Amino acid sequence: MTIPLAHYLILSGILFSIGLAGVLIRRNILVVFMCLEMMLSAANISLVAFSRAQGTAGIPVYDAQVLSLFIVAIAAAEVSIGLALIVAMFRARRTVDSTSLNSLKD
Amino acid sequence: MFESAICQIIFYVFAALAALCAIGVVAFRNPVASAMNMALSFGFTAAILFGMGAQFLGIVQLIVYAGAILVLFLFVVMMLDVKAEEHSGLMPMVVGVVVASIFAGIVTHVALHLPGAQDGACPVITACENIDALAVTDTPKAETAAPQQTGFGGSLPQLDSKAANQAANPGMRPEAAAAATGYPDVKLLGKTLFTQYNIAFVILSFALLSGTVGAVALARKIRKD
Repeated sequence: MTIPLAHYLILSGILFSIGLAGVLIRRNILVVFMCLEMMLSAANISLVAFSRAQGTAGIPVYDAQVLSLFIVAIAAAEVSIGLALIVAMFRARRTVDSTSLNSLKD
Repeated sequence: MFESAICQIIFYVFAALAALCAIGVVAFRNPVASAMNMALSFGFTAAILFGMGAQFLGIVQLIVYAGAILVLFLFVVMMLDVKAEEHSGLMPMVVGVVVASIFAGIVTHVALHLPGAQDGACPVITACENIDALAVTDTPKAETAAPQQTGFGGSLPQLDSKAANQAANPGMRPEAAAAATGYPDVKLLGKTLFTQYNIAFVILSFALLSGTVGAVALARKIRKD
């Protein structure tokens, strides 16, 4: 295993910024939500890489991997809530275009 | 070494594929195509986690992200009958690409200039030495305060399956630990999760429960009568 830590962090940063670009560019709120999920999973890569890098005597520091597991669980809960909100929004407006959400009261 | 060269090539191939599929999520205008690209991207991310020796998190990534979350997305896309979106104009595209490129550049710069990456000196150790020079008596010595690895430079340390087996099974005889093959990732992760972070784990189950209840409460049809 001769891959430096920096390459894992750069991969994580690239995946995160692709997700950020998707959140800024796309107008379909479902795809925006998918890009948010990609940003969360990109953070996991850097957490696991840091847990390996700070390990002593060949054993990683498992605190970071536990945090990463928690992120996955919270992401699952967040997706269920967010998709329910999107369904409710579609019922109210018959669209999933985020630019159409421009009035406080219909 | 041949084996490590293979590991490196596999990592870079999977990293490139993960980034490519992530770009596909943003680029495809059909939401179903975006969802499929997201599944592929999560699969390659899981492969990278496997390569780092985090087998349990790789499996969790596959089951939770590529399994559960993706199926939920596909359900909603099919249910809502979403049409392909039209182009959103040049301005948001330029703003998005510029902001994301700046962010990626900052992350790359920080990752390449991590403490220890340049001269092998960790700022934590340097700070401790400075405190010693100031003759502050009640601070820990540099030997005890310094981390085991100096900084974040260089490649990741090798996993030691013998030491890990010894740590996972404290009563194990050294011969048995030496004979044990495979790295006990799940056992060590479970030990940390169920001892040090047990209360957080229990609270997490309440978060999942409230997520379930909230989803049902939000998505049900409201009858107007």
